[in-house]
Amino acid sequence: MKTALAVKDLSHSYGRRSVLNAVSFSVQEGEFFIIIGPNGSGKTTLVRTISGSLRPQRGQTEILGCPIGSYSGKALARSVAVVTQTPPADIPFTVAEVVLMGRSPHLSLLAVEKRKDLQLAERAMSFTNVQHLAGRRLDQLSAGERQRVFVARAICQQPRIIVLDEPTASLDLAHQIHVMDLLERLRMDEKITIIMVSHDLNLAAMYADRLLLLKAGGVVSLGKPEEVLTFQTLERAYGCVLLVDENPVKKVPRVTLVPNSIMQAGFRSLTGQ
Amino acid sequence: MPTGANLSTRRKLYPIVIMLMLALVVAKTSESRLARDQAGRTVSVPDNPLRVVSLAPSITEIVFALGEGDRLKGVTQHCDFPADAQSLPKIGSYVHPDLERIVALKPDLCIAVRDGNPGNVVAELEALGIPVYAVDPRNLDTAVDTVLEVGQLLNATTKAQHLANEMRARIERVKVRVAGTGRRPRVFFQIGTAPIVSAGTNTVINELIVAAGGQNLAEGPASYPLFSREQVLALQPEVIIITAMTKEPDLEQVGAEWRQYEGLPAVRNNRIFIVDGDLFDRPTPRLIKGLETLAGIIHPELFR
Amino acid sequence: MKATAPHAYPILKRILAVSLLLGLLLIISAFLGLSMGSSEQNIRQILAVLAGHADQYPTLSSIVWRIRLPRVLLAALVGATLSLGGLVFQALLRNPLAEPYIMGISGGSAVGAIIGILLGMSPFPGVAFFAFAGSMATLLLVLLIASTRSAMKKETLILAGVMVNAFCASVIMFLISLTQDSRLHNILFWLMGDLSMSNTHQTLMLMVALLPCFTVLFLLARPMNILLMGEEMAANMGVDVRLIPLVLLLVTSFMVSIVVCHTGLLGFVGLVMPHLLRLLFGPDHRLLVPACILGGAAYLILCDLLARSLPSQGEMPVGVITAMVGAPLFILLLRRSRQ
Repeated sequence: MKTALAVKDLSHSYGRRSVLNAVSFSVQEGEFFIIIGPNGSGKTTLVRTISGSLRPQRGQTEILGCPIGSYSGKALARSVAVVTQTPPADIPFTVAEVVLMGRSPHLSLLAVEKRKDLQLAERAMSFTNVQHLAGRRLDQLSAGERQRVFVARAICQQPRIIVLDEPTASLDLAHQIHVMDLLERLRMDEKITIIMVSHDLNLAAMYADRLLLLKAGGVVSLGKPEEVLTFQTLERAYGCVLLVDENPVKKVPRVTLVPNSIMQAGFRSLTGQ
Repeated sequence: MPTGANLSTRRKLYPIVIMLMLALVVAKTSESRLARDQAGRTVSVPDNPLRVVSLAPSITEIVFALGEGDRLKGVTQHCDFPADAQSLPKIGSYVHPDLERIVALKPDLCIAVRDGNPGNVVAELEALGIPVYAVDPRNLDTAVDTVLEVGQLLNATTKAQHLANEMRARIERVKVRVAGTGRRPRVFFQIGTAPIVSAGTNTVINELIVAAGGQNLAEGPASYPLFSREQVLALQPEVIIITAMTKEPDLEQVGAEWRQYEGLPAVRNNRIFIVDGDLFDRPTPRLIKGLETLAGIIHPELFR
Repeated sequence: MKATAPHAYPILKRILAVSLLLGLLLIISAFLGLSMGSSEQNIRQILAVLAGHADQYPTLSSIVWRIRLPRVLLAALVGATLSLGGLVFQALLRNPLAEPYIMGISGGSAVGAIIGILLGMSPFPGVAFFAFAGSMATLLLVLLIASTRSAMKKETLILAGVMVNAFCASVIMFLISLTQDSRLHNILFWLMGDLSMSNTHQTLMLMVALLPCFTVLFLLARPMNILLMGEEMAANMGVDVRLIPLVLLLVTSFMVSIVVCHTGLLGFVGLVMPHLLRLLFGPDHRLLVPACILGGAAYLILCDLLARSLPSQGEMPVGVITAMVGAPLFILLLRRSRQ
């Protein structure tokens, strides 16, 4: 299996504040790779490095075996598609037009979208279940619908890797599951690598092949969910008390927050500490 | 069969006929002649222009003063003197002539002022085959010259000479009378009201003031210098003359504003005057009237 | 499978349809512009002249071909350029209030032109050269102010442009206060926009300079669409967000500057036309670029026609018409778009 993404010794600072500190890891093709960590741990900076928006001060990034610097802008766009945390809302285009824009890395300057491009856009829209919104303007949609549109656009780009920065942050429960299932389907059907940043540990645990836990710019843990999501690791990373047990739906860890009152009452007796 | 006598008559006739024909040909082609206008350009002007367009109010006035108003077919929108000019078709303003209207009037000659008419309009007219003759009346002397030039253009040389002589005579009369006095009263000539604008050395107004025996307090390199009220007070004018280039509503008000400064010599001696701006603005025969008006104001003792 | 929505129609067909429609409008406007003017005429004579019978009506023929045609051509070029300029700046700066003069071009060119007029220069090449130099100087100033390290933030660009224009406005007022003679009239006409300063030769040279600019901007229409999504997303979709905005900026600024040199500061065309056309035909720039060129040309020809034939004597500055028509139109559009 090929390596989709390989990151070595990645370091970056904003001014004197160090945001990433010698981060190294790799992601295999077709993996569902989720990056977790508290705020300020450098997750977004890492994502921007992978997508090519940011050139880190130190370290190497390799996409599909080639250094990221060797890709032209368009070639990189054909390999990596990005869905940002808050997609812009004030765009005057319709859903169909936005999704169709995903084809532009495949079109030369003078070229016009052909039938194949239109079909790909349609497929992407039905995949994300926004085809009934095709003629609506983007600013008339809800946040969840907008997010799905941008995922559709990313799919339309036909990349090998899709990078998403907290795509479920502003979605309600049904949509959260919907998007994650969608990404899982993409991974299984098309062998697209999914690299995602998430705040939601349980969601991450349920879908990820591997997790990367960051804190203060450094790697705390990297591995399968059951390896990373341990009580000690999490307490070290997040600085609060958490209860970790097994998820009843799937054989992965489940993380539960513990309010102070319960802790006082005798939480320790529950875990046998 | 032609006899000997007939042959010799015919031979004598041939040269005459040929000369007549040549004369006709020459006559046909000498409908226009080359002239050098006051801008130094060589223009091919018609001998007898019948459809003339004037591109400035001063030119209109001169043409009418020469009695050749009938030749005028178009004037600028500010040509308001004499009254007959107001009924003629208008071809825009003299800074912004309307090319289309001029061409539609089918003129055989346009008379322009060198300083004021836009060069590109003149160039376009000439490119369309319409001759444009530029005059340059800047002061008293060139105003007289312009009268003569226009007279020549319009075949009114006698009248032009007559008018020019009269103009020169009136100028002389003023200058001679003024030459006698030693005094030159301090004159402030106010053109604009807000801000206060006067006329510097390089203007017609200055020339008139000097010729009328006054001292122009605004003399200096700037053509139309601005003054604050304080500056004028400091100059202590003995005569204040107020006019406006445009039709100002209330020049009386402006005069009243000066009268509050009782320290001014002009106020003490009640020598604040309001005059018609057109007499000082246009280098035409009326300019002489402006000169005489000024002389009467500045040296009332010499002129009635 | 549900059919794709109307706005995803094959774009080529839509471009063709809109171009044909607006092209027809342009031809009609040009016809009207050639047929009407400040001198009297009747329709039969006009048709005869347009059909080529110059010898029958030589005067009218002169008027139509030598006076009105260059004017109509200039109005078309200027209208196209200003509309396109407004469109590009609105996309580039992602601001609906952007107009072609926003990068300090109006201030710089006006200061340059006024200095040229006060020095007694003729409109060509003197005043035009000074105006161009002025606008290039202020453009450079705005770029210098707004560029930090390698990126140029759009907010800084807008602010820098507004500030430079404001400073130039005070310089302009100062220069105007010093002017008392007929040059004041020239200055005011330049500031209001004046289509009468140019001649045929100048207009043809202008056309030669503008056509490549139009072509470049049409080629960059799809990247302009993507730039509307934000720089980061545009970069992620393969658009070179360093080069392409810079090219757009420079080409558009150049194009607007050389037009301003010929005609002064014609307002409202560049602000209103892009919005109007966007309302009618949608936000896809591959459609809007030709629409702005053709529609803007027709609009200014018609405004100029009104300016030439409405007043009973002389002509109104065409900038007055574009404002009097453009401002209410803009307000109408605002209300429409809020619904």
